[in-house]
Amino acid sequence: MQGCRAVAIDKVIEVPYALEIPVGPQHPALHEPILLKAYADGEEVVKVEVHTGYNHRGIEKLAEKNSFYRDIFIVSRVCGICNGVHANCFVRAVEQILGIEPSPRAKYLRVLAMELERMHSHMLINAVMAEIIGFDSLFMNIMRDREYIMKSKEIVTGNRVSADYMIFGGVRRDLSSDKIDKLRKLIDRVIPRIKYYKKLFMEDETILKRLVDVGVVKPSEATLYGLLGPVARASGVKIDARASDKYDAYGEIPFNVIVRNECDAWARMMVRWDEALESAKIIKYVLDHLPQDGKAVPDERRLPRRFPPGEAYTRVEAPRGELIYYVMSDGKPMPYRVKIRTPSVHNILNTAKFYIGYSIADLPVILTSWDPCISCMERLTIIDLRTGERRKVPMKELAGGGKKWVNPRYSL
Amino acid sequence: MIEEINELVKEGLLKEVGTIKPNRELYEFSHERIREIFKQLLERLGEKGFYLATIVGTDILKDKKIRLDYYVVVLPEETTIVLRTYVDRDNPEINSILDLIPAALAPECEIHDLLGVVFKGNPALRRPFFVPEELVEKGIYPLRKDARV
Repeated sequence: MQGCRAVAIDKVIEVPYALEIPVGPQHPALHEPILLKAYADGEEVVKVEVHTGYNHRGIEKLAEKNSFYRDIFIVSRVCGICNGVHANCFVRAVEQILGIEPSPRAKYLRVLAMELERMHSHMLINAVMAEIIGFDSLFMNIMRDREYIMKSKEIVTGNRVSADYMIFGGVRRDLSSDKIDKLRKLIDRVIPRIKYYKKLFMEDETILKRLVDVGVVKPSEATLYGLLGPVARASGVKIDARASDKYDAYGEIPFNVIVRNECDAWARMMVRWDEALESAKIIKYVLDHLPQDGKAVPDERRLPRRFPPGEAYTRVEAPRGELIYYVMSDGKPMPYRVKIRTPSVHNILNTAKFYIGYSIADLPVILTSWDPCISCMERLTIIDLRTGERRKVPMKELAGGGKKWVNPRYSL
Repeated sequence: MIEEINELVKEGLLKEVGTIKPNRELYEFSHERIREIFKQLLERLGEKGFYLATIVGTDILKDKKIRLDYYVVVLPEETTIVLRTYVDRDNPEINSILDLIPAALAPECEIHDLLGVVFKGNPALRRPFFVPEELVEKGIYPLRKDARV
């Protein structure tokens, strides 16, 4: 019968990515281990299974057992790299229930902290992409320049990574004018570097060869599979919670939503570079237009101690896409339900289909282009079905393979 | 209010019940009609016209119900609407919409694992998905209000 030819497959490649993602609740977002089991016929990936559940910390349940105030710090620990947006989304949901609003200055400062986070997150994933395609010196250069942003974040929030910057009704630290000058200098130093890296991603032949036309996601697939953030925007779907919800000060700040139509891994990385530049613009705007009226830091002794019953559903544009918090209060000091939906849960779990048809060496490139925050996707097991022999190959060597020249040790 | 959703309200598939802060319109529907509603949404708004943001499952212990909120973001304005339904807590079953909307994979698997709702017709449901194996062996659904974990 036509179409039913017997195909002799005697070797299967199983790729267990131990991608270390520390999140939270139900979501593999960052630094929590996740397993992508890929099955390949020769070099071509034919099936990918996503396995989860290695590091489920039960943060939603934990949040239900703790007070609203403690929960701010718990949800900040969902994700290391975007702790500010997590705290912001939760804080705004509770503010909706309480019916309070922060001062304009606090709103601008929140935007400042979140945009710094977006910049360093986008720089990180682009650096990781450079490393994955074997461009280690570029990785180091981007990471060096990322330090300026980390320093800026330290100036604003008091800490490089875990900021704990948000509180109901405002932020926890104000910004003095000499700090603003320091920030300006740091941002001005980073902008030409980002422009240079963007040019490099547009012109460098190695990068183009590895990224262009890899991991194509059509616009209709992006919406059907619920893909978010730069992944959707690189497929021509114009979604951005900053532009649509206009939370905090985003309604007053001019910025562009970056959309590209190439739909491939390269477009996703380019969207991130353009967004980093756009974030730099927003940061400069905030520094120039920081309102003087109102106290940014609320008096913590006067913050509400009673929480009325109610529910709120807030969205925030995290570096990886739309982040959602649903908070329900039944009038007790602890929330009845906190639901967290990180963008990575859609971008990782729903994308198993998009690896199919590409070569094994493209697999890390596609995975990285979702921005899943890879830390240790380091092993690959090759199983020879005839002898039952298994051997492990580090992910980096695999990624160095490419379609045309595969290290003979690992080629089938 | 979005015109297509308004039509569904007029046809009796959805019932308008208010809003969730900030300004998310809330509609209720009977859980048997879930597939019909999403088929209509696909037909009227188109594949590129909306996406399923998430499903929020909440255990309402005092009513002996599990509440499922389907959050749909209608494009291009990105208006979030909430489609709410209830299933019985002792026999939580609802039809899966995975074949219509692949984005339902992550939330359906998660709710099955944490609250024990069975999405009929979803082949990917499995335990453990997120929770540790010892909880699965004991038959504990961690997000249920009476579960002690």
